[in-house]
Amino acid sequence: MIKHFGVVGAGTMGAGIALAAARSGLDVILYDVNDTVLRQALERIKADVKQGVARGKIPADQVSPIVARIHPRTNLSDFHACELVVEAVIEDLRVKKDLFRHLETHTKTSAVLATNTSSLSVTAITSVLRRQERAIGLHFFNPAHIMKLVEVVRTQATSESTIAFARSFVHHIGKSPVLVRDTPGFIVNRVARPFYGEALRLLGEQVATHEQIDRILKQGAGFAMGPFELMDLIGIDVNFAVTQSMYDQFFGEPRYRPHPIQKQMVDAGRLGKKTGAGFYTYNDTTKQDNSAESWPLPPQRRQ
Amino acid sequence: MAPSASKTSIARKKAIVYITGESPLVEEYAALGSAHGYDVVVQWNEDRKRDKEYRRSAIVPAGTSIALELTNTDLERKKRNLQKLDKALPPTAAIISSSVTVSASEQATWIIHRHRLAGCCALPSFSAGTVIEVAPTVYTPVETMEVVRRFFTSLGKHCEFVEDRVGMVLPRVVCQIINEACFALQEGVSTPAELDTAMKLGVNYPRGPIEWAEAIGIRQVEAVLRALERDLGEDRYRVAPLLHQMALTGEWWNRNPREGS
Repeated sequence: MIKHFGVVGAGTMGAGIALAAARSGLDVILYDVNDTVLRQALERIKADVKQGVARGKIPADQVSPIVARIHPRTNLSDFHACELVVEAVIEDLRVKKDLFRHLETHTKTSAVLATNTSSLSVTAITSVLRRQERAIGLHFFNPAHIMKLVEVVRTQATSESTIAFARSFVHHIGKSPVLVRDTPGFIVNRVARPFYGEALRLLGEQVATHEQIDRILKQGAGFAMGPFELMDLIGIDVNFAVTQSMYDQFFGEPRYRPHPIQKQMVDAGRLGKKTGAGFYTYNDTTKQDNSAESWPLPPQRRQ
Repeated sequence: MAPSASKTSIARKKAIVYITGESPLVEEYAALGSAHGYDVVVQWNEDRKRDKEYRRSAIVPAGTSIALELTNTDLERKKRNLQKLDKALPPTAAIISSSVTVSASEQATWIIHRHRLAGCCALPSFSAGTVIEVAPTVYTPVETMEVVRRFFTSLGKHCEFVEDRVGMVLPRVVCQIINEACFALQEGVSTPAELDTAMKLGVNYPRGPIEWAEAIGIRQVEAVLRALERDLGEDRYRVAPLLHQMALTGEWWNRNPREGS
């Protein structure tokens, strides 16, 4: 199995992926152009490991060995021995394409190169490679060291052996792979669209208030969070951008059409929890149940 | 409100609840009603399996205080059931009818005593939820809604009063998730099992969309989507061809036409 594993980009996702691999006993090369970002990432990883100890998920004597397995680097040539490198840099097609072009020259010919993109086409990103059969998407979910799912995204060029290798890697780090064809939104971002889209339409048509819709879907259907609570948590701007991107990638398919309420919330600067107000208002981090203050105003109910 | 008080007073009198409609909703609500102290009588129906759990009668029993109409797929039959209930019940008895695939207001126009009818959200596999959507029609007075609220409270459910629209909240959201999963499936994005795994592990859904379709019943899901398509007239509610095929055959996989039959 894999011995040398690399991660490009030490942001939230990159650090989470590095930690997930280090926990399963792999040595990880964590690369970033910025030394400060790398230091911050290691601090965050240490904090996450300690949190894992506090929650009883990680044995206390494993803290330093796990952290020691993550090697911060600022030179791409340090990936020369890696069998697998996962890229988790900014969601920008040009940046990612450029990176893959460089990665290919700094890794061995048998290395599998993976992208953690959630919204871009894996085919487009990896089209710059000479060995496209060794390219694949590995879409982790945030927080990557906790969430069990990884979408393994195959392009038309991805070889069966690359898929098998990627799946066994995902199993090796204790996660569950699902194989997906490279299509906009893969599975999760696509199938989850109606959860937000229909909820927004129901609110727009004043069928129910956002509090009611959240309560109905949580206590009636068993969802852990209601769509409006979740949009507030994700960030209404982020959710709007994902919806818009899906809509564009499917060339205006009406099932993915964004809703004017989303844009209006973004225009108003009510982006959710991070700005203290979204569909609900927040005091520090606690949700306020004061519906009179929430916006849009609830329609007059007959009862 | 005092749920325990209303529950005991109803239990003491053993109020009769008469249930019409289709399986498995009828059985789900019959079990729920019996468990909460009601005298449940289920409409006798030739295509329903005979069992001894509930009283069955083709005639609406005298003294029935609440009737539940739980048909979602066959709207002609729903209409006949409601008209029969309206004729047989005393004017004071309320009819609570599933308004998932046809609005409660439209249903009220089928009967004479329109004031007695209110809509509710009844979809198979969700009867254990602690919240239920109820919808007054354009004719329903507050008094009828109070009867509806007390009834569902006695079943341990909190009522959310929503506008009377086809699809309501829960069915519209859940069935559109299932529809999207079917589109993804027919485009070969992934397999049914992996779609379920992805939604449960990736976004903590209580069930995967394909599991959900099977629990609800694929014909019920299609009925909800067709109703949305009909009522809202938007392309976004068109039914995935694979989902329709499923409703006909009960098979998730369409046979490869090149392999023959």
